[in-house]
Amino acid sequence: MKLFTKYNIILSFVGIFGLLVIGFLFYNTLTHYLDKQIDHDMVEEIIEVKEAAAKNVFYKPHEFEDLIVNYKPIDNLNQPLTTLYGDTSFYNPLKYQLERGRYLKTQLILFGKPYMVTVVASKFEREEQIKQICLIIFLPMLLLFGILLLINRVMMGKLWRPFEKIVQNITKFNLRQDHAFEPVNTPIREFKTLNDAIVLLSNKVNIDYREIKLFTENASHEMMTPLAVINAKLDMILQSNVLDNDYGEILADLYKATSRLTKLNQSLLLLVKIDNNTINEQEQVDVKELVVEKINYFQELIHKRSLVLITNLSESTIFSNRQLMDVLINNLFSNVIRHNYEGGTIEILLNQSTIIFKNTGTKVALNAEKIFDRFYKDKASEGTGLGLSILKQICVKQDFNLNYQYENDLHIFTVSF
Amino acid sequence: MKIFIVEDELSLQNSMERYLTSERNICVCASTYAEAYEKLSIYEYDCVLLDLNLPDGEGLQLLKHLKKLNKGAGIIITSARNALDQKIEGLSLGADDYLTKPFHLSELNARILALVRRKNMSGAMQVTFNELMIDIDSKEVFVHGKIIYFTRKEFELLLYFIVNKGKAISKAAAAERIWGDDADMADSFDFIYTHIKNIRKKLMDAGSNDYFHSVYGVGYRFAAT
Repeated sequence: MKLFTKYNIILSFVGIFGLLVIGFLFYNTLTHYLDKQIDHDMVEEIIEVKEAAAKNVFYKPHEFEDLIVNYKPIDNLNQPLTTLYGDTSFYNPLKYQLERGRYLKTQLILFGKPYMVTVVASKFEREEQIKQICLIIFLPMLLLFGILLLINRVMMGKLWRPFEKIVQNITKFNLRQDHAFEPVNTPIREFKTLNDAIVLLSNKVNIDYREIKLFTENASHEMMTPLAVINAKLDMILQSNVLDNDYGEILADLYKATSRLTKLNQSLLLLVKIDNNTINEQEQVDVKELVVEKINYFQELIHKRSLVLITNLSESTIFSNRQLMDVLINNLFSNVIRHNYEGGTIEILLNQSTIIFKNTGTKVALNAEKIFDRFYKDKASEGTGLGLSILKQICVKQDFNLNYQYENDLHIFTVSF
Repeated sequence: MKIFIVEDELSLQNSMERYLTSERNICVCASTYAEAYEKLSIYEYDCVLLDLNLPDGEGLQLLKHLKKLNKGAGIIITSARNALDQKIEGLSLGADDYLTKPFHLSELNARILALVRRKNMSGAMQVTFNELMIDIDSKEVFVHGKIIYFTRKEFELLLYFIVNKGKAISKAAAAERIWGDDADMADSFDFIYTHIKNIRKKLMDAGSNDYFHSVYGVGYRFAAT
């Protein structure tokens, strides 16, 4: 739920409840006040009655006064002599209808006889008045309330816009793709603070990331010289005639390990270089030619494992970096050969905008989320575990779309240029 | 041939010197910029192996100095940095080749010989070994004057062994020669065995002697005995 939706709901509840309470109180007070006024008028009528009695006539109210006076002779004045007020309904002979009204009952001595005098005044007009007053007050209030809610809605949306922009920019922030966090300009202090904090944080993250990359690069470079020493020493040992054949296996393992370490280092360096955009010369690259070249290059490997190679290559020339394209095709090839079984198949499809590598291999789909992670590989693999992440990184940098699928027992890697 | 080795890593320098000396070269070494600068100014060399990262200076400066002296020595840069722009800078400053560390000594030797061949255009573009004759230009192999057809990789491999004749070459070095950086492919070492077997067969079918000798199962030596 949005913050201001929640806020509006609370506001609406409180507002409606408040309006009801205030309305109730207001109505009651007003009614009470008007009743008092009617009562006061009726007292005046009694005075009129007494004055008329002094002139020996029964007082009759005027028609416009909208009230009736009743005289009822009684035997005695009942003690105590109180005046009673109250609400009642009565038949209004002037309007021929039943109306609500106020009555006043009092005992008077008129012409020397006791009478029960009842004055009944219609409340109709007063009630109409109350209705009018309430409407005049409450309708504008309701309208105001509605307008407030509406303004709230619009204003809140507007006021929170910088916040939404900040969130958007955080989402776009990406170290590997060099998407820096774009600061959002806003006069609101809270958002400014948030923005500044994120700018600070992202700068720190950027610096740390750059340092890590620099460290990786330097560490890899530093390792090349000792590796060169190991290689050279191994070559020298091989020249000596003093070893017996038992050492051959050890030497072979040492050569293999050194070669793997070298390859690992080179792969790390390549990754850092791709990350740093240091490989960026663009030119027309004939992808078909590149693939054919690689087929020739890998033919012994394909042949030795009795892999069946099916190709369907159309002409395809793209504007890209030759070195990266070479690595891309190369890694795709290494991957389909390495993770295949004896007598399996490799299928390569190329058209202007896509290249697809399909291979037989393990009978289960690989984890598409993880296969492009660095150093993710199955235990049997003798690779560096960097081939696919290099592939992925090249695709990210070159704006290619890289996709993995498993269908009909085939692992399918698709790169869309 | 007189070779000047500029390398600050002494144990590497030592191995390079020993390997190249055993190939009947005369080697002179330097491990600092100052020492290299001095020796380069005074003596003449056929080939200079130049490390770019020296403790007291940039190898590229030495390269500029060397070019100014105009002594006509072939120059191979040996560097731990495999950056394309550095390669281009080095080559444009007048280096003839660029070898990235780590490298195999047999590879270094092959590069030196190839460089010297290129330098002396008048020099023989043919390598002869007993009844074997290789024409490097046309990439043809003759046994007793009869041409034998090899695939490109087989030819490369045979040439590599012949220029390093008498030396044991590991399968790793041979694989790297043919497949470059991808030599780590799981069973690339086994391919060297297959390739060598094929080369041997073709040569012997044509009446050549068997010159390939297995060394501890790790590599091969191409030699008359």
